[in-house]
Amino acid sequence: MRRIYRALPGPTPVKIVTSIVVVAVALVALHFFYEWVGSSFLDTGGTVG
Amino acid sequence: MTQLADTAESGTEEVPRLPPPSRGYRLMHGIGWTLIWLGALTMGFVVHQLWMTTFFAKQNQAELIVDLEERFGSAEIIEIPYIPVTPPTDSPPPDDPPIASGALGNLGVLRAEAPPEEGAAFAEIRIPSLASLQDGWAVVEGVSLDDLKNGAGHMPWTPLPGQPGNSVISGHRTTYGQPFHDLDLVEFGDLIEVKTALGTHTYAVREIHVVNPTELWVTHPRSGAWLTLTTCNPKFSAKERLIVAAELVEGPNAEVILGRL
Repeated sequence: MRRIYRALPGPTPVKIVTSIVVVAVALVALHFFYEWVGSSFLDTGGTVG
Repeated sequence: MTQLADTAESGTEEVPRLPPPSRGYRLMHGIGWTLIWLGALTMGFVVHQLWMTTFFAKQNQAELIVDLEERFGSAEIIEIPYIPVTPPTDSPPPDDPPIASGALGNLGVLRAEAPPEEGAAFAEIRIPSLASLQDGWAVVEGVSLDDLKNGAGHMPWTPLPGQPGNSVISGHRTTYGQPFHDLDLVEFGDLIEVKTALGTHTYAVREIHVVNPTELWVTHPRSGAWLTLTTCNPKFSAKERLIVAAELVEGPNAEVILGRL
């Protein structure tokens, strides 16, 4: 993680903003991935636990 | 100064270096980290299913409640002749839901509202005896995956609440707001209130069943006016369905349907 952060371009403030954006995008992607997994593999006919 | 610094300054002695990791070590290291990430991903999925889906469902509920108020204020109410529903048969239930049948007669006039569009909120359900449902949940039209992500859903091929027959509403038990999380705590005689554009329809719990998901007879038409709630059972599983059937006891159409006029 630290290595990835250091590899980001620009001074520290830019690195921080870039990190926040990357994490936010990753979380949104993860949300849609989890939604897909939940509705594809857990739901059975419309009502799930 | 420490001996290390002295050594570094003099540059005469080499710092002992570890041998490069072997191939087996690197392989195990990689497998270990992969398992850690997979575990974190799985834990994230559990957190997402149990809490994040509920967070988003409650956000959607707030919007649906606003839509409901608009519908209650603007829905067109019509009057239709009361046609009693004849249940298909008492013996073994057929595989497919039968079509409700009835005969026209001078049995009274019912109030009715236009059918809601798929996905639209049209009712609010409350169960005063359950803490989780005391404040009410918006009910949308439809029981598709997307419909049930927003709240409880009404099966479109069953009558609307307050109408003759068997109105069926489904909801999640542990995810997406878990509207029916505590449905197993209802007792016979508990009241269920469904508010629609017509007014508040009050039902009393008469039957509680646990059935297989394929047992569609629970959605079949019934004589009188019934409300059937379905959700998954047990909690955290979709193996069975918990069914709560309640009979109309009060409401805008109760007098006509119950034959009190």
